Amino acid sequence: MTSTRRRPGPRGRAVLLVLPALVPVVAVVGAALTSAALLSLGLAPLVGEPRLSLDAYRDAAGDLGTGIGLSLGIAAAATFVATVVGLCLALAATAAVRRSRLLGALAALTIPIPHLVGAAAMGLLLADAGFLARLLGVDPSSWPPLVGGPLWAAVVAEYAWKESAFVALVVAGVLSSRAASYGETAALLGAGRWARLRHVTLPLAAPALGGAAAVSFVYTLGSYEVAALLGRAHPEPLPVLAYRLFTSIDLAARPQAAAVALTTAGLALVVVLLSLRALRRLAAER
Amino acid sequence: MSGGALRLAGLTRVHGTGSAPALDGFDLEVPAGSCVAILGPSGSGKSTVLRLTAGLDEPTAGSVHLDGVDLAGVLPERRGMAMVFQRPLLFPHLSVRDNVAFADRVRGVPRRTARRRAEEFLELVQLGGYGGRPARALSGGQEQRVALARALAAEPRVLLLDEPFSALDARLREEMHELLADLRMRLDPTILLVTHDHAEADTLADRVAVLDGGRLLQAGPMRALYARPASLTVSRLLGGRTEVAGVVRDGRHESPLGSLDLPAPVPDGPAVLVVRHEAVQVTTAADPAADAVGSAVRVRPRGLRALVTVEVTGDGGTTTVDAELGPGHDVAAGGTVGLRLPAGDRWVVPVDDAADDPVADGARA
Amino acid sequence: MTAVRAVRAASRTGRTLLALWLVLPLVPLLLWAFADRWTFPAVLPQEWGTRGAEEALAAGAGGAFLTSTLLGAVVALLATPLGAMAGRALASRQVPAGTAVLAVLLSPLALPPFAVALGLDVLLLRLGVPAVGGVVVLLVVAALPYTTLTMRAAYAAHDRGFEDEARVLGATRWQTVRSVQLPLVAPALAGAAFLAFLVGWSDYIVTVLVGGGRLTTLPLLVASAASATGSDAQVAILSLTSILPPVALLLVVGSLGRRRR
Repeated sequence: MTSTRRRPGPRGRAVLLVLPALVPVVAVVGAALTSAALLSLGLAPLVGEPRLSLDAYRDAAGDLGTGIGLSLGIAAAATFVATVVGLCLALAATAAVRRSRLLGALAALTIPIPHLVGAAAMGLLLADAGFLARLLGVDPSSWPPLVGGPLWAAVVAEYAWKESAFVALVVAGVLSSRAASYGETAALLGAGRWARLRHVTLPLAAPALGGAAAVSFVYTLGSYEVAALLGRAHPEPLPVLAYRLFTSIDLAARPQAAAVALTTAGLALVVVLLSLRALRRLAAER
Repeated sequence: MSGGALRLAGLTRVHGTGSAPALDGFDLEVPAGSCVAILGPSGSGKSTVLRLTAGLDEPTAGSVHLDGVDLAGVLPERRGMAMVFQRPLLFPHLSVRDNVAFADRVRGVPRRTARRRAEEFLELVQLGGYGGRPARALSGGQEQRVALARALAAEPRVLLLDEPFSALDARLREEMHELLADLRMRLDPTILLVTHDHAEADTLADRVAVLDGGRLLQAGPMRALYARPASLTVSRLLGGRTEVAGVVRDGRHESPLGSLDLPAPVPDGPAVLVVRHEAVQVTTAADPAADAVGSAVRVRPRGLRALVTVEVTGDGGTTTVDAELGPGHDVAAGGTVGLRLPAGDRWVVPVDDAADDPVADGARA
Repeated sequence: MTAVRAVRAASRTGRTLLALWLVLPLVPLLLWAFADRWTFPAVLPQEWGTRGAEEALAAGAGGAFLTSTLLGAVVALLATPLGAMAGRALASRQVPAGTAVLAVLLSPLALPPFAVALGLDVLLLRLGVPAVGGVVVLLVVAALPYTTLTMRAAYAAHDRGFEDEARVLGATRWQTVRSVQLPLVAPALAGAAFLAFLVGWSDYIVTVLVGGGRLTTLPLLVASAASATGSDAQVAILSLTSILPPVALLLVVGSLGRRRR
């Protein structure tokens, strides 16, 4: 005879355990995207009759175009620098000989610094009368416009700085657990320093490096405060553009803000899917 | 502490719909105070028996009875069992003493009392004075002793042992066997033991149940199983090495070894002769009492004794017989020897599909 | 011999540059925080003092510190148990369509926070959800990917045998969770809670968009000081105040994790 008291089976228990997290995520993400979509399509206007239209997208098209290019450019530049520097940090922090504990610790301590604080620090460092200009003895008039300049150098520097620490930690985590023993085996098989790096360490680090780069890219793409603080007024990256439109006194700009937000979300989603595919292909090659 | 009587009836466990059952209609009696071993290769379902008995998994069909009470729907913590796994699983956040005191603590026994009793059980496994150590500071053998003490301190009516000694080296394993024999004499627990090692089952258990592919193949005292295995599979699981294919006619087994008398009546037809290598006596080729003569093709030392494989050619082909030499006795590889197969130790089993041409397979390890 | 020396020298230079890369942005922060006067082109402040701190306090740094701490704590308190339960379920591989469920739980990582906040803001207003509640819900959802991932990894490495053993020894389901499971995953729980705290502690855009001025957190003060001119000392001291608690927490969590191992 089976039990008379029905207890939920392992599957039932698992579902009960996952629901408290799943429900708020689905509710918030679903409601936010739906509400933004309705707003951007003119179906939930703050004033007037709901009417399906692409006006918001049409009105924002110009700014949207430059915003997309700018946001992608900033994210790409910052991610590239972060990936290269982060990999170097990880290699130094997990090297078999003369491992640098200091670099590992410094990278770890950089993680909890809020991006906004990083932006403030970069401002103090890179502004035309900033710390770096003083250190190098360059007059403000001949100091390149890093903050608020046309190349968005301070913005890229801030993201590259913070995300390099993130990349370093992720890659070092993988390397420290696996690379040492593989490296020793490779050395016993006669592989030199560069051969070990090329044929053992880099392939081992590649999936983690790619994953971390994708996360950094998507984060940079959707982050507001750094570009708002260290960037220039025009042109605007997508988050800054959306924020300006959303907080504008003109209520008609709200649907445009929603259109920009949805575009950014779509862009982020495409990046995520592309990197997942690339990572899967990388895994399949093994 | 004295154990209860355990009875498993028709236990069946199917993991997923459509997959083969991990356990299929398993019946077993474990009388109070006895030790029964379940012997089987990995994947045979023997650990499933323990998990179902302990209530960690629910059977698809069948029941577990303890002292006549059906335990269906009884939670694992209320079954009065304790289990020692192959891994010691000492809680790493507790000291050795608090590990042993765990069962008492979760039952609400005051900490001081529980710890005092824990020390007693640590003494019992010869680890008195180790109580204050962190669980991670022990060697493998010590860890497994603490695991045993922890299970015993729970005063289980049935002690379940899931290959508890198989991760230990040979010397530690022997020590643990002696310890368990000693504990049985002192505490008289009911033990259900799972192992893949027939020697361990022989050492520890009163009775053995042989399990393969989720089915009970044979059960009984170990000696009876050694002497009269029900099938080739059982013979092999018990370490049987000699398998001579042939035909039974009028109570005699005819094979390349010749026509041999069988101790018990057997129906006519194809049958495989099995003889324990411990029972086979190696003599000279000239021995008139030799049942067969052949050449020693392989000699493997095993401590003081040696295991010799003898190839015999006779009517209808060639076969091999394994024999264990007495201490100091030696045979040169390639030499011709005589074999005595005592009539009482001959046994035939049906030719089953598990046998992939055992005659040609003389080099079986 | 010289080749080895050259490699060693190059590696030392590389490491120095990497250390500089990590530390240099924080140096002006430390200097400005205690500078009363630091005019161009001086490399070090001319007058040291506490002007920045006084300005920060006058701007409401005390209250903002408390608000930020509370926000981080509430987010951690909610997101950690939810993430732990989800992580446990996902690690057990018993969740139907587990990969899809995980993808949904991680989706806040991929979605720009401003887009979610902006989309939800209108809805929250219409539903009449209090601003502070909206901020907390959004930040908990933003923190759930971190806590879920951390706890899923912890439970995947966790040996279920310990819990079976505890059950057989007489512990009830709840006793097993309390006295075996939670102590064993405690370091991961601390790590998950730390990450969730960081989400609440560092957030800017959600607080600005959804908070509707009800919540003044440290990041808001940093941003307003940094966008004004001539308040570099105040920016620096506010920034330092935003860095120190999480760094201290990180050290505590890190030492906890090491002791457990």
